[in-house]
Amino acid sequence: MFKAVSNNLSAEPKDIRWFYDQYAPMLLGYINGIVQDQQKSEDHLVVILTSYIKDVAILPEKSRLNIWLELRQYAQSKLTLYTAKDHQLNLNQSVDNGRLDLLDDLQKRIFCAVYYHGKTIQYLAATIGCNESEIRNQLRLSIDKMRRASGN
Amino acid sequence: MEINKIMESGLMETYVMGIATEEEVQKVLSLKKEYPAFKDALEQLEYDMEVLAQSMGIEPPVDALAKIELEINEIQRQNQAIQTTVEAEYSYNKTHQENKRGKYIEVESESNQMRVNKAWKWAFIAVFVLGKIFLAFAIYFYLENRQVKEQLQELKIELKQKIR
Repeated sequence: MFKAVSNNLSAEPKDIRWFYDQYAPMLLGYINGIVQDQQKSEDHLVVILTSYIKDVAILPEKSRLNIWLELRQYAQSKLTLYTAKDHQLNLNQSVDNGRLDLLDDLQKRIFCAVYYHGKTIQYLAATIGCNESEIRNQLRLSIDKMRRASGN
Repeated sequence: MEINKIMESGLMETYVMGIATEEEVQKVLSLKKEYPAFKDALEQLEYDMEVLAQSMGIEPPVDALAKIELEINEIQRQNQAIQTTVEAEYSYNKTHQENKRGKYIEVESESNQMRVNKAWKWAFIAVFVLGKIFLAFAIYFYLENRQVKEQLQELKIELKQKIR
């Protein structure tokens, strides 16, 4: 799904600033959800954003919906040291969970394993001991709950 | 309707979360083309996921942008240095070649060598071997012939002596 485009650092400083303002807070929140350490997350943010700007063309006119999806997957691929480990969700995370608090424990576990650690439905079904359709359903319900809380 | 069932199956969520299998990705792409309602729902979900990420965002430290810009400037500077080196090398090679051309007069010469297809190797070997065989026969028949002539000469002498 994710396609890196050779950029040769053609991005203008104003594009970089636009990109940073738009996505840096989201990305830092996402990285912190994976790394669970504020200082390390900030270090990773700088490395990942620099490397993304270097590897992938950042164009403001590019479809905005795809950018976040791509950036999230890119960050996930750069944090395999954390995501490759067997996911043990810490339900008492010190970071602000935002809308995650709306979810029950199972939904939170499934959502975080998929969203932050890229775990597959098959993996979760085997780990949790449910069938795949139940995992899919719980994932959909957890997203729906959070979307409704945003008024969508 | 079938499409509503698919939309409620969790396929879109799996796709947007980036954990869809290749088969599921193909299915989503095909449904997106086929059903505008599916396409709209998928785009809305992608947008909502972005809004969700914004709500879970954390303000980066003030110096993060400066660090990124510094890193990028450094990479750009290195790239430019590499490009300059390559250009300088190219320019040196070009000048060097031009100088060489200036010092020496190019002479068109004809080679006294010729290129032959490798298949001819066996033909040359066959000709060589046959040549040797013919030479051996020629020597053999020459000696034979000389011996016969000598014998004939001796017989003639013998015959003359007997007649006398």
